[in-house]
Amino acid sequence: MYPKEVEKLLPLVQKPGRYTGGELGSTIKDKNSVALRYAFCFPDSYEIGMSHLGIKILYAVANARKDVWCERVFAPWHDMEEEMRRHGVPLYALESGDPVKDFDLIGFTLMYELCYTNVLNMLDLAGLPVRAADRHDLTPIVVGGGACACNPEPMAEFFDVFSLGEGEEMYDAFFDLLKQYKTEGRSKREFLLAVSKLPGFYVPSLYDVSYNADGTVQAITPRDGAPATIQKQIISDLDHVQYPNQFVVPYLEVVHDRVTHEIMRGCIRGCRFCQAGFLYRPIREKSPDTINDQCRALCDATGYDEISLSSLSTSDYTKLEPLLDKLLEWTIPEKINIALPSLRVDNFSDSLMEKLNKVRRSGLTFAPEAGTQRLRDAINKNVTEDEVMRTARKAFQGGWTAVKLYFMLGLPTETLDDVAGIADLAQAVVNEFYRNPDKPKGKGVTVSISVASFVPKPFTPFQWEPQDTREMLLEKQKHLLESIHTKKINASFHKVDISFLEGVFARGDRRLGKAILWAWEHGCKFDSWDDSFRIDVWEEAFRACGLDPLFYTSRRRDFSEVLPWDHLDFGIRKAFLQKENEKAHRSETTPHCRIQCAGCGANKLNGGNCDALRQSLVS
Amino acid sequence: MRCVRVWFHKTGPIRYISHLDLMRTMTRAIRRSGIDLWYTEGFNPHPYMTFALPLSRGMQSLCESMDIRIEGDASNEEICRALQSVMPEGIRVTAVQEPVLDPKFISFARFSVAFENAADPELLRQKTDTLLSGESLIVQKLGKKGHKKVMKEIDLLQSLQSYSLRVDGDTLVLELVLPAGSVSNVNPSLLCDEILKLDPGAYYVITRQALLTKDMEIYA
Repeated sequence: MYPKEVEKLLPLVQKPGRYTGGELGSTIKDKNSVALRYAFCFPDSYEIGMSHLGIKILYAVANARKDVWCERVFAPWHDMEEEMRRHGVPLYALESGDPVKDFDLIGFTLMYELCYTNVLNMLDLAGLPVRAADRHDLTPIVVGGGACACNPEPMAEFFDVFSLGEGEEMYDAFFDLLKQYKTEGRSKREFLLAVSKLPGFYVPSLYDVSYNADGTVQAITPRDGAPATIQKQIISDLDHVQYPNQFVVPYLEVVHDRVTHEIMRGCIRGCRFCQAGFLYRPIREKSPDTINDQCRALCDATGYDEISLSSLSTSDYTKLEPLLDKLLEWTIPEKINIALPSLRVDNFSDSLMEKLNKVRRSGLTFAPEAGTQRLRDAINKNVTEDEVMRTARKAFQGGWTAVKLYFMLGLPTETLDDVAGIADLAQAVVNEFYRNPDKPKGKGVTVSISVASFVPKPFTPFQWEPQDTREMLLEKQKHLLESIHTKKINASFHKVDISFLEGVFARGDRRLGKAILWAWEHGCKFDSWDDSFRIDVWEEAFRACGLDPLFYTSRRRDFSEVLPWDHLDFGIRKAFLQKENEKAHRSETTPHCRIQCAGCGANKLNGGNCDALRQSLVS
Repeated sequence: MRCVRVWFHKTGPIRYISHLDLMRTMTRAIRRSGIDLWYTEGFNPHPYMTFALPLSRGMQSLCESMDIRIEGDASNEEICRALQSVMPEGIRVTAVQEPVLDPKFISFARFSVAFENAADPELLRQKTDTLLSGESLIVQKLGKKGHKKVMKEIDLLQSLQSYSLRVDGDTLVLELVLPAGSVSNVNPSLLCDEILKLDPGAYYVITRQALLTKDMEIYA
């Protein structure tokens, strides 16, 4: 329940339902009966945050503890922020309406680099100093997690702790320690020293970073007994880890408003551009029975009429068809739709198509990522043009008339021929539609191509590669548009300025903290929103801080260079990434993990186990 | 298949969700209740659900109704109990009945408005009384002319059927009846915003108390 002062503000803002709380499934506890208050912050709007599966899982895991009350906090939209500041209302948590600054623990999910200014803004709106060194008390302690925690260095100044890996089983030790230190009245410094010894927790203030004359990192040196490397923590068995039996059901329409079920973690494919494909290794599958039971319970509890089976590559889930059989048994009579995002073109079978036809039809989306076979080989996207065509043919025979294809521009080794290849591939899909004798009468085909700009990320084989400059990307976009000769193909592009900034932070170091602070002080927030993004202010920020953003994006890094994230261990061996990089430059592919283990090293995180390995031995 | 009218209250923070959000909320609640809903036939089956008169966002109501079509032989009481157990906070199902009147018979609505945080509630009462007992009260309103949106001027006092004022503790309570329905509809917030100009520090909460026919009978 929101604080009373907010009552006056709600009629003045758009979508007041973002700020009221009280949704079905939200957890209300007696604040006097818990030992720790935890504000789980998502540094973006309510609609984005409420679509995020990780929050739903961790909210349930944290609240399963009797002594912890976890509440949700989202970034207020511009209009609400203005009213809150004008009326002196501090950032509050949705469940209790209590000010965030009075919580014991403030956790931020860092899902993408462009949310960084929102983190600062939320801390400030809470009435807290944004820099960790200026927050002297033990509580609230500010922790960051999520995908960007794999290189959190640009945000090192603002966080007390980063949590590396999967939160489900890391929470307990952290909560216990914080509870103990709070009860004993210990200092923040004592707590940070203790937490740095827990597996998977990184305390950035305990590491000194020195730089070479050319600006590259010389060394990352731990102090006060902090470990030299911090290893990502994982859960080993998805069937025996807690999954929510209730979701908070938003009133407002949010981006993903449905039951989402994670059926598998990790990905066998090893596409060289894909950070998630390496970051979430090793492969772990959930059993169809567990998924089926949990989906049923969630549908009953929420009333949702759609289930999304989510993973990095859903058609690689080995038991997809048996799972669909189980689900369709009750979802068809209950009129529940099943969505399968992240299907691959190369293993889209007839019987899978038939099962998909039983559920309500949505768009069909495939990601060839690159326009030519040579480049697809270089990025290890093991999909051939034949496979794309075969799938398109099946889709068109199945009655689809709209297909969406995902591509990237700016991939390493890309030439203008590869760019034109995107148009050629889309054209071939259009032609395939007209080759179908049973095509629906009077209906045309639409092939939408969504073209992102490639941003090299840590813990991928392309972590050493230069990123295309904005000028190069615009040139390639123009070339692609000129290569399209039909109105049946719609192309849309990502904004190159936004990809540029993402690239700076993705592989950035600690010195960038200054620029983030400067940009935020000069009004930057909601940077991932086209309307809010202000590249002029960011460029000014880099200038004012004496930083060259191209140093982070456009430079080819030497294999021997110390990378800002070298002290963080995500299980993937650097030598493996280097070998993959070298193969990319020779346009050589690496077979996926079930055909042959490529030896990435991630199975060491799971006691040597990897579901891909286990399955390849069986078959 | 039969049609039932579900009566409910919408009060508290949930008043900030829009009519569209309410429809989604209700669809999910009905699914949770396990009531055997009738679905439209055709390519994209969906449940049948219609609301008497959409409520503006921010308003509370004690007189909302929603007509749904159901299968099976559950009694109205059973349906009522099933729905009561699945509603989110702020939505309270009060009765399930056979529909009596078609929504087109709605002509007026009675509201009560609580003005909170007034500097001096009694002074605000007097000023409001003077304002509402005057000759006319012209306000600008965004209206439609064909498909175009145009600013229109309307005299609120022409539409105001009746009103009463009382001070209850620190709260000024205004009760009023205004035209409502598909023919003519006046949003009470137009009038309340004028009253706020008499005391800018105050804020108000509107509650729709009843929907009325042209003869001022309660819509059922």
